Amino acid sequence: MAPPGSTNGDGEQVLVEENLFLRTLILNRPRQLNALSFQMVSKLLELFVAYEDDCNVKLVILKGNGRAFCAGGDVATVVHDINGGDWRLGAKFFWKEFILNYVMATYSKPQVFAMPETALGLFPDVGASYFLSRLPGFFGEYVGLTGARLDGAEMLACGLATHFVPSARLSLLEAALCKLDSGAPATISSILDEYSQQPHLKENSAHHKLAIINRCFSRRTIEEIISTLEREAVNSADNWISATIQSLQKASPTSLKISLRSIREGRLQDVGQCLTREYRMVCHVLQGEVSKDFFEGCRAILLDKDKNPKWEPSRLEQINESMVEQYFSKVDDEEWEDLKLPAKFTFSASSLAKL
Amino acid sequence: MGSPSPADQVSRRAQVLAGHLRGLQTSTEPSLSPSPCLQYSPPELASPPPDFNLSDMRKLMDGHNLQDRDWLFGLMIQSKLFNPRVAGGRVFVSPDYSQSMEQQREMTMKRIHYLLDCGVFQEWLTGRGPEVEMRKFALHEVIGMYDHSLAVKLGVHYFLWGGAIQFFGTKRHHDKWLRDTENYVIKGCFAMTELGHGSNVRGIETVTTYDSKTGEFVINSPCESAQKYWIGGAANHATHTIVFSQLNINGKSEGVHAFIAQIRDTDGNICPNVRVADCGHKIGLNGVDNGRIWFDNVRIPRENLLNSVADVSPDGQYLSAIKDPDQRFAAFLAPLTSGRVTIASSAVYSSKMSLAIAIRYSLTRRAFSLTPNQPEVLLLDYPSHQRRLLPLLAKTYAMSFAANYLKMIYVKRTPESNKTIHVVSSAFKAILTWHNMRTLQECREACGGQGLKTENRIGHMKGEYDVQSTFEGDNNVLMQQVSKALLAEYIAVQKRNRPFKGLGLEHLNKSCPDVPSQLTSSTLRSSQFQTDIFCLRERDLLIRFAAEISQLQAQGLSREYALLQSYQLAEDLGRAFSDRAILQTFLDAEAAVSSGPLKVNIGNFLL
Repeated sequence: MAPPGSTNGDGEQVLVEENLFLRTLILNRPRQLNALSFQMVSKLLELFVAYEDDCNVKLVILKGNGRAFCAGGDVATVVHDINGGDWRLGAKFFWKEFILNYVMATYSKPQVFAMPETALGLFPDVGASYFLSRLPGFFGEYVGLTGARLDGAEMLACGLATHFVPSARLSLLEAALCKLDSGAPATISSILDEYSQQPHLKENSAHHKLAIINRCFSRRTIEEIISTLEREAVNSADNWISATIQSLQKASPTSLKISLRSIREGRLQDVGQCLTREYRMVCHVLQGEVSKDFFEGCRAILLDKDKNPKWEPSRLEQINESMVEQYFSKVDDEEWEDLKLPAKFTFSASSLAKL
Repeated sequence: MGSPSPADQVSRRAQVLAGHLRGLQTSTEPSLSPSPCLQYSPPELASPPPDFNLSDMRKLMDGHNLQDRDWLFGLMIQSKLFNPRVAGGRVFVSPDYSQSMEQQREMTMKRIHYLLDCGVFQEWLTGRGPEVEMRKFALHEVIGMYDHSLAVKLGVHYFLWGGAIQFFGTKRHHDKWLRDTENYVIKGCFAMTELGHGSNVRGIETVTTYDSKTGEFVINSPCESAQKYWIGGAANHATHTIVFSQLNINGKSEGVHAFIAQIRDTDGNICPNVRVADCGHKIGLNGVDNGRIWFDNVRIPRENLLNSVADVSPDGQYLSAIKDPDQRFAAFLAPLTSGRVTIASSAVYSSKMSLAIAIRYSLTRRAFSLTPNQPEVLLLDYPSHQRRLLPLLAKTYAMSFAANYLKMIYVKRTPESNKTIHVVSSAFKAILTWHNMRTLQECREACGGQGLKTENRIGHMKGEYDVQSTFEGDNNVLMQQVSKALLAEYIAVQKRNRPFKGLGLEHLNKSCPDVPSQLTSSTLRSSQFQTDIFCLRERDLLIRFAAEISQLQAQGLSREYALLQSYQLAEDLGRAFSDRAILQTFLDAEAAVSSGPLKVNIGNFLL
């Protein structure tokens, strides 16, 4: 479809289709699995802000070209930029990205994420401390700390998704949405209902393990989480427990501690406060003063791909409270400032995050 | 005849149909628009944001263990056991107080088991040191904010039963009981109060004797007034109890001692020779199962005497390093200070919650217009309403610092500081709990009809927190004890011609402060002046109290009768001491804050 009025700007990394009251934004970097570049983030932000005040736009669809929806922020480029010089360039990227996240989270217009059955890796930034902490029980800690991937059925089961539409029916769904002239959530929801189905959780899905996840991941510290898992492993032959322990043992110890604290703080905060806090954290990560694990992780997993990162500090006991505290404090730099989010004046249900 | 003609009917019908067809583009504009009088706006949106950093203020007020507190808040909102409700995009948790007494008791136990499984109580008894103790206090405070019953039930098990094992017991008791207590393998309670004796612990009537043939103590309730009463946990759940009882060895009464007795087996059946009854429904705290206990010559092993202060040998000899029974008794009661510390703290949090609710309400509720056609005035815009709530808020700030100070001196206690801690904890417990009840009442009134809804918490908290003024020491009795301690110190200073040391009385070593004859506004606001007048008041009352006692004794009254007669001065002195001490903690806290908007705002409160 090459409808009139479609705009392909900015190196075509974000394609835009306009249909009546519908806008479809298509992430178009399929070879990088649609990882968001600085250009894409800027463009998306521009579009979202413009659409919010445009009463001709009643529905926005986000799609990804290729086999992935979006692999998150383009971390490899960020690292490359930093290795070339200034951590502040990386910070600028995250600044934009987080503003976009805030705008999307508090958007007054309904949004539909179109995802073919795709495995999604969740990383605990981009407002994750907000939405992960609100998953049932302590599933959020489990997902955030182990980096567990959730399939479509699991996303539906834990509330991250509202509908599951098989890929075969996606184009029919889009066509139906094109014809809409109403932005009423109830109407959109009923159309989604027509095309969606109830997927089945796989037998070994983590979602079946909520009881043990809650028992272990509710604990106060990372050390206690691991020791509780180890105690459970003694009484159970379940591979899942040992796999979970392994993911935790392979992860950067610093990341584990700051992620846990981030999710726990996020549980009690609104989405704006979460993003503000995460922005501080990411700036400290980029500065690399407490630990350079981010760069080592990117090197080992994304660049050299040897999958053998050498974390420093290498053990949980080496990380004390004040080191963790540093990630949550303001950055000591003349030019640095806290994330400035657009003001949302209308007090209505929509100004509270949708996630 | 008045009925429309067919032509009219047709045209009307056509008009109606046309209206249907035209109305196909549904306008997004709702036909109802909100009217100003129905509009609710939360105060956070109405006012400009504060000029100080909220999380800095929180750090100052909570004082310690902020992350641990947030972790616990998170544990509660993530579990259905705590009744989470989502409203306005936020999660609210509150117990369901409309449940029956039995249901509330059951829910309380379920919540305890959940928190236990999450590891909340780790190290509460097996850990040592100030860090562990401060964390314990912080977590207990958060629990109290959710539900006072839950806090009291845990307090009885960990602080009273557990504390007794820790402080009255010796190594064999620690090894046998602490871990099982921490993990709730056994459930403990604390049987001190009797039907006939609450404040006067030394007069309790339960009697314990020793049977050297079997190496057992025999505990007995000789009469109805000796039954244990108000024993939290005893009615339904507790398996073991600390029993306070007179100890009679070889025909001699050695005074009050503490023993461990089992009252229920693991299946929940009451043990032989023990009788338990329910205290019944209460005006509040129905999540706690308070019970009555009678001991009918219950036999316990000799090892069950908590023997840190005194002991009985296998052949029945009474042994104690402390010869004086008064001193021995004092050594006994000193460890129970932790109870008073937690009570003082929870009273402050209750005041904070009720003030937060009432003040927010007064920033949204409107009543009466001052000029025609103008919107009605916000309650808090009335000077009279400000006068009702804001001084209470300022006092609560002061008491918050006082409670944090009390926790600090408690966890850093030494044998030398014990006496001071005893006096300060008694004074603060009394003042802070009285202040809480006063604040709850005022806040309830300030919320009008809304203050009557249990859901709105303030009114309900009155019933929940009322007991604080009489349990763990009746406030009036505590204040008398404070004044007696001050008097004793005064007399000792005179007699031994040494300076005042401890209890914050050092200001008495200096000459009387000068009150300037011209009281300008800036003088009144200076912290030096305020310290001076509070110290002056304490000095004056102490001197007058001592003088009156001395005079009455000179007239032939015994010291006890003299103290009875001078109750008014005693009470006033107790309050003067407490107020001066609390002010001092506030000034110290303010001095410790570095300059900036936070300091300015705190400073404003001092006035």
